[in-house]
Amino acid sequence: MALLSVTNLSKKYDSNFAVKNVSFEFQPGKCIALIGPNGAGKTTILHILAGLLRPTSGNVKMSEINGNSDIRSFIGYLPQYPVFYTWMTGSEFLIYSGQLAHLSKKEAMARANELLERVGIADAGNKPIAKYSGGMKQRLGIAQAIIHNPKLLILDEPVSSLDPIGRREVLTLMEELKNEMTILFSTHILTDADEISDALLLLHQGEIVEAGSINILREKYQTATIELSFSHNTRFYQDKILQLSSVDNGYTEHDSIHVSASDISLAREEILKAAADEKWPITSFTLHRASLEDMFMKAVKK
Amino acid sequence: MDLLQEIDWQLVAPLLVIQLILMIVALVDWIKADDFNGPKWLWFFIIIFLSIPGPVIYFIFGRRR
Amino acid sequence: MQWMTLFKKEIIENWRNKKWIWVPLIFILLAIIDPISNYYMPQIIDSIGGMPEGAVFEIPELSSAEVILMTLGQLSSLGVLVIILMSMGAIAGERKSGVIELILVKPVSYQHYITAKWAALLSLVWTALILGLTACWYYTVTLFGELPVISLLQIIFFYGLWITLVVTIVIFYNSFVKTPGLVAFLSIATIMAMSLLTQVFGRFLEWSPNNLSGHIFESLMIDQLTGDLIATAFVTMGLIISFLIGAIILFRRKSLAE
Repeated sequence: MALLSVTNLSKKYDSNFAVKNVSFEFQPGKCIALIGPNGAGKTTILHILAGLLRPTSGNVKMSEINGNSDIRSFIGYLPQYPVFYTWMTGSEFLIYSGQLAHLSKKEAMARANELLERVGIADAGNKPIAKYSGGMKQRLGIAQAIIHNPKLLILDEPVSSLDPIGRREVLTLMEELKNEMTILFSTHILTDADEISDALLLLHQGEIVEAGSINILREKYQTATIELSFSHNTRFYQDKILQLSSVDNGYTEHDSIHVSASDISLAREEILKAAADEKWPITSFTLHRASLEDMFMKAVKK
Repeated sequence: MDLLQEIDWQLVAPLLVIQLILMIVALVDWIKADDFNGPKWLWFFIIIFLSIPGPVIYFIFGRRR
Repeated sequence: MQWMTLFKKEIIENWRNKKWIWVPLIFILLAIIDPISNYYMPQIIDSIGGMPEGAVFEIPELSSAEVILMTLGQLSSLGVLVIILMSMGAIAGERKSGVIELILVKPVSYQHYITAKWAALLSLVWTALILGLTACWYYTVTLFGELPVISLLQIIFFYGLWITLVVTIVIFYNSFVKTPGLVAFLSIATIMAMSLLTQVFGRFLEWSPNNLSGHIFESLMIDQLTGDLIATAFVTMGLIISFLIGAIILFRRKSLAE
């Protein structure tokens, strides 16, 4: 059963749709990336899921929830630019967050210590948040989001404002958290999505233009090509390759042959088989995969 | 000068003491803080020279929170 | 449980930003200025050159009740201004800074959030008021004559209702206005409009909350609670409850709308 299912979700401001008729669902234990350019409606969707915003129409269902319990109890949320009570210490803020999520004071304190350690700011736990750097605030933000062990962790652009080191640390942390909860995060940086997510939701102008697991999407949008070079007789082998039934097209550039096919795995198989049977003098064989960037552009243009 | 002699200082002293405490508390806060609306030195003069309203104005508007 | 967490956080915050020190001090100051300055009025007039030759100016002997009325007037102007300015950002400030996002994504009841803020402000303001009025009472009794302790308690209770209404109006605007300055402006405008209405339609608005000080004064004069005072108290409580419920409804709507 899906952990979360969203049906026909729309949010309208005046006469503009920030989010238009969005539906999707996902299984527990996955890491899903919500991808789209700035202004595509990512934050609006996350706000609705986090219970911060009421949709104009449509609904959100979480399988864990029975009847009238508060959806927010099962969700942890980190906004893009988290703001804290700067007069509190990091530890105080975590305890406060935990208590708001109905942990007892004792539980909240134990959990706060554990998380300060885990996100790597244990030394600063008793310092006022006013003195925290941006990276420390981001980590404190993640800690407050998971203080109550949510089923679903929602992160809005969790790494885009961080420097490369901070970015790496947060991605590693997310990788770990994937084992404990479902993660939904938004990003406009496609390589981040590619790195840690299992599935993608591509958002464009408030609408989902494509959704699915990374591998399936890759296959669907593959613009993959095979690039080959031969020690001699390149022209001869190009003609041979073009005769293969799975190959659609091919041309030679800088002494290497570029092959495209609608089913690239079949083409690969045929080429390699012929090469083995006929002892082709291949010097290199490369399969170029589609980047997420290419996929996104293609999906948007559709 | 009659006025000064006729005044019962025991009665008036609390007024002055409260004013002094307000000013000291404001100054202690002012020394430690670094998030002001406007330049820091300006708030020093407001606290010191606008006797009663000074500290109050400082507490309400001085800090960015 | 959750309500106490929210409430305690407010109390600690007001302690760290020193409101627990300066607000009571200001109220004591405002409350004792009138008894002292009126007591020394003849000397003050003398010291600035006295009355012109031949002018007959009798400085009336003030009664304790009159001095109290003057103090309540002081608190209703400067005291109320201080209350409004120090609480204009109670919620609006959290919305403006964005910290409210991290609070409202937790399973926090909108009702708890509003009422905890309200109660925390009230505990601060009532503490200031009790200290201020007690100091005022002490000076009045020392300098102007008898006033029983029970009268002091009555003054605190009934005038406290007025102050409670002021706090509730500020919370009301805080619930849906995002700019602290605008909250202060709207609160002041509301209180001034109420005062104006009370003056213009005095005949029909005998029980307007703005008349609380006046009715307290009348009760002190005849040494017993007047029916008008009690009725006004009930009207004030009704308004407090209405503004508070309104605040909760508007807060929920506003929070989920943007």
